[in-house]
Amino acid sequence: MGRKKKKASKPWCWYCNREFDDEKILVQHQKAKHFKCHICHKKLYTGPGLSIHCMQVHKETVDKVPNSLPNRSNIEIEIFGMDGIPAEDLREHERQKNGGKSDSDDEEPAAKKKVEIPLTAPPPMMMPPNMMPPHMMGQYAQYGMMPHMAPMPPFLGPGGIPMMPTHMMPPRPLFPAAMAAATTSAAAAAHAVAAVAQQKPTFPAYSNATISAPPTTNNPNITAPTTSSASASGEAPKSQVVTSTSGVTSKIMHPPEDLSLEELKARRLPLKINSNNLAASSSNRSNNSTPNTSAVTAYSTGLTSATSTSSITTNAANAAATAAAISKAQEVATMAAVVQAQAQAQAQAHAQAQVQAQVQAQVQAQVAQAQAHAVAVQQQQQHQQQQQQQQQKQFEDLNRVVMLQRIQQAQAAAAAVSRPGATAAAAAVGMVKHLSQNTASM
Amino acid sequence: MYNISGQLRLKTKSTNPMNDFEVVAPPDDAVSALKFSPAAVQQNYLIAGSWDSSVRCWEVEQTGKTLPRAIKTVGGCPVLDACWSDDGTKVFIAAENQVKIWDLLSDQTMQVAAHQAPVKTCHWIKGSKYACLMTGSWDKTIKFWDTRSSNPMLSLNLPERCYCADVDYPIAVVGTAGKNVVVYSLENTPTEFKRQEGLLKYQHRAIAVCRDKKQNPTGYAVGSIEGRVVLKYLNPLNPKDRLTFKCHRSAVSAASQDVYAINDMAFHPIHGTLVTVGSDGTFCFWDADACKRLKCSEKMNQSITKCSLNANGHIFAYALGYDWSKGYEYFSPTKKPQIFLRRCYEELNPRTA
Repeated sequence: MGRKKKKASKPWCWYCNREFDDEKILVQHQKAKHFKCHICHKKLYTGPGLSIHCMQVHKETVDKVPNSLPNRSNIEIEIFGMDGIPAEDLREHERQKNGGKSDSDDEEPAAKKKVEIPLTAPPPMMMPPNMMPPHMMGQYAQYGMMPHMAPMPPFLGPGGIPMMPTHMMPPRPLFPAAMAAATTSAAAAAHAVAAVAQQKPTFPAYSNATISAPPTTNNPNITAPTTSSASASGEAPKSQVVTSTSGVTSKIMHPPEDLSLEELKARRLPLKINSNNLAASSSNRSNNSTPNTSAVTAYSTGLTSATSTSSITTNAANAAATAAAISKAQEVATMAAVVQAQAQAQAQAHAQAQVQAQVQAQVQAQVAQAQAHAVAVQQQQQHQQQQQQQQQKQFEDLNRVVMLQRIQQAQAAAAAVSRPGATAAAAAVGMVKHLSQNTASM
Repeated sequence: MYNISGQLRLKTKSTNPMNDFEVVAPPDDAVSALKFSPAAVQQNYLIAGSWDSSVRCWEVEQTGKTLPRAIKTVGGCPVLDACWSDDGTKVFIAAENQVKIWDLLSDQTMQVAAHQAPVKTCHWIKGSKYACLMTGSWDKTIKFWDTRSSNPMLSLNLPERCYCADVDYPIAVVGTAGKNVVVYSLENTPTEFKRQEGLLKYQHRAIAVCRDKKQNPTGYAVGSIEGRVVLKYLNPLNPKDRLTFKCHRSAVSAASQDVYAINDMAFHPIHGTLVTVGSDGTFCFWDADACKRLKCSEKMNQSITKCSLNANGHIFAYALGYDWSKGYEYFSPTKKPQIFLRRCYEELNPRTA
């Protein structure tokens, strides 16, 4: 047969474009989704019937058919199953179905893909309104929705954008002016957004901008990405969020791990199957101590190099263990002794004494801090950061000290003879005593 | 207000919105198994296994009064499943990696089965030529035990951990992790009949064998954590071999809904209608063949973890308790588990409901 027959396609709902196997199911769907009174949940048979019921029983007006596409929300038009659908819409539906089949490259069946494009309620994903026009034009040219652009304003005008405000409000429109201008295109653009999300995006850059949370990797069950992230970032979220094809966000009240609830509950019990956690963490700790000791030895050897301080920073940043803090404290203490010995051996003038005092104070403070670390095992990181800063400062000072000492050595070479060794030694002893007293009082 | 002599109606509607009979002395932790005694026993007995390591047994009288008859604790391990023997004199208790048999008359227990990991399901099979215990475990095996021997009669591998199972001779069905269902034929000796993958897109949580009008097992229903049930017929007459419906969902707004897991399901022994209980704290009655929902209960303040129908289909038991669906953080020790009984014969009758 060369001539294309107009075969009776599967029944579809005029209000939301969904397809059904059976007209009976279609009717049930319409009754449940489109002709159901939102106040008393009574299911009517037609759109006008619903409007009359609400007026008579609840004294309320219904201006649009619930859960319907914006261009199909006219409550006056009487549709029952497949009866009453205007011929133009029938043709349009056929055209969409046939046109879509040729460029379908998705997993979903072609018919379903077509159905998803015009949505009843736009998904919660938000796209900056100023991005809509280029999409919209492209998408609509492709799917032949252009003829519907004209009739849209009259439908949308009186009620504004039927579904949009409820969803657009939470992420507030950034460009209200553009919003107002693009009211007619907004609803359609939301379709484009959904279309983009559901198919392979034709504008990957834009679609990435739309979808703020990329699809999670730990849970393959999520069908479409949503802004409310279900990705395991830090705390494990308590539920999965799914956006179904009709644009309804479903939140599954189940932890996202791929385990049964019994397994999750059993984890908290000391059963034989769960005993592997402790070994891993202790091995981590032992590993962390070695980089730190090497970093600390770098302190004592490479006093002047700036690179050593940066390497210290990185190494210390990596480690998080108390053992490291303790070993650091020990190293710092020996360093302090070394530094003090150097300082004391060459202490001469006031300026020198001041510098030494500064160094000692810092070293003492550092030793005290390190000891505090050894005691307070829990608060490692903040202390370590402070330590790093102080160590860096100390090194800068040490560098200064060394520089000064070298200068003074040259100067004192001339005056070295006059200094009595005893007073220098006494000063040294005094400082040692002072330091030891401080250390003991910690 | 507890009336010790039994017939209990709570004054506060908050925990018993359906005004059902409350079972006295319920367990202290969530119920993991709830089973009525088999038809062979004259009276109705109800056993409940719980995470508090106990199995309790009550006698249920016609008036709705419950009398605690026995309690057995299994040393610190949570009970994951329990079932009756076919003559109603013994109870099998699956606790941690073992299954014990509890002789109700002598109050003795003895180990009859063991796995490498906790046993999730245990069912007694009474066949025409043999009788044995079927145990499914998280060690990805299903074993069949003659209770007199310590070695299994048969051990079959599963594609993944066993999550749920049901037996209705000569069919046994097992739902596993990874969304698999394995169907076994139990005639002569248990053999794997069919593996089915991807019936539902989310984790399988409950499974039940359904019968046709002639009371022959003809298919099974699977419930997932995504508030969806699929009914699969094994030998379908028409090409459409399955029925799917959504349930246990509550609309939060026009475009978002909360979807709850189905924790348990049961088919009515006489009417063939289906009961589902969910994480949302409701139970629903369905006429699956006609795709009709017969009744949905009020939402209770806790999830319903398990349900059971008695042998003649007059009593429906359901257990309230926290099913861990929101993780550890939402566990509230002040919310005690409860078990309720309801007269359900007329409500589950598809013609009168």
